[in-house]
Amino acid sequence: MSTPAHPHPAPGTGGEPRRSMVVCGVIGAAVTAALDEIVFHQILHWHHFYDRSTLGVGLLSDGLLHTAELLALVAGFFLYADLRRRRALAPAHALAGFFLGAGVFQVFDGIVDHKLLRLHQVRYGVDVTPYDWAWNLAGLVLLVVGGVLAVRATRRSETRSVA
Amino acid sequence: MTVAHGRHGAAMGAGAGELIAVVGAVLVAGGYLLAARRLRRRGDAWSPWRDVSFGAGAAGVVWAAMGPLPGGPFTAHMGRHLLVGMAAPLLLVLARPLTLALRGPAPGAARRGLLAMAHSRPVGWLVFPPLAALLDVGGLWVLYRTPLFAGMGHEPWPHALVHAHVLAAGLLFAFAVCRLDPVRRRWGLAVRGATLLAAGAAHAVLAKTLYATAPPGTSFAAGDLRTGSQLMYYGGDLVEAALAAVVAASWYRAAGRAQRRQRRRASADWAYRGCARPADSGVYER
Repeated sequence: MSTPAHPHPAPGTGGEPRRSMVVCGVIGAAVTAALDEIVFHQILHWHHFYDRSTLGVGLLSDGLLHTAELLALVAGFFLYADLRRRRALAPAHALAGFFLGAGVFQVFDGIVDHKLLRLHQVRYGVDVTPYDWAWNLAGLVLLVVGGVLAVRATRRSETRSVA
Repeated sequence: MTVAHGRHGAAMGAGAGELIAVVGAVLVAGGYLLAARRLRRRGDAWSPWRDVSFGAGAAGVVWAAMGPLPGGPFTAHMGRHLLVGMAAPLLLVLARPLTLALRGPAPGAARRGLLAMAHSRPVGWLVFPPLAALLDVGGLWVLYRTPLFAGMGHEPWPHALVHAHVLAAGLLFAFAVCRLDPVRRRWGLAVRGATLLAAGAAHAVLAKTLYATAPPGTSFAAGDLRTGSQLMYYGGDLVEAALAAVVAASWYRAAGRAQRRQRRRASADWAYRGCARPADSGVYER
């Protein structure tokens, strides 16, 4: 993340759509990760501060995820501020990126962490199936919203550049 | 009170180690404020927030050495550790002490010596962020995962030495990651960010293992151990987020300077070619 020489965006293109999407995607993923941690670990205690550490690798991955989410949140907001400052923010793409990032994280957590690696489950001591469905459907909804917004944003900027 | 940790603060009275810490912190803070005042009298700009930050950092060290800290023995220890090893170092480093030491006093042998030290090769290696992180977080792993922690509670001097190391390593780590003061080798954002990530993860993992298993040779109450390790986990998060914000803010400022430079160059270019700067189009008005 050095400081590349940003070319001045041509007037009328609405800034840097791709970068706007990536930056807000990072924020979206970090926000979802933080929400997961605060709501389910700390408030509800469904999966606890300490329940993955039966596996050394699981513990390490958890520490890395937790720290990465924190750093991503800080970095994302500063990158966002830089886009605003340079008037390079493409708002429609940014919103789409936020939902896409949030959805990707949620679905990844639901499928890979919960089901494939079995690092932790949403809840213990009950039938986990409805929780899994709710978790992954919520992620899917976020992904679909993000996808629709991204397509609309791209179409709109294309018609504008043609016109 | 448990076996390992009966001798903190009030229980120990004003031990020699605590006394040295308090006197040292007060002297250093006084020196900082005097140098800053000298700089301002000379007409240099020096933000008052730096004085506040340095004063708060020194006060944190004094409080950790003298003051009562809440919670059971392990929780109180962890509070002290957070204060001495993380919060105070960040506050002290934010005040850019080396910059002040190089600019404040009159030129002379002392300043030349300091500059030579700051630019020396060993110091250059010491402030290599991964090495600083290893000394800092690695030291914590050694402290809590070997009998060192159980041993230090009985002896005042090892105890004082361990806390001195925690402070020094915390200072070194914050100094290397924030990179606010001028040193020989200026490590880039990727190295410092990756170091922060690795060190933060190692800190979080250590906190989690402490939640489950006490340091060897100690017998803290289960509740105390859990509160203490949670304090370590979330307190570590707070300081880590603050460190990340410092790193990101310095990137943000540098990027802004680069943009202004680029814009100036562009408008100088236009002027050189004898054209009007195309400000009316609004493209360059940022």
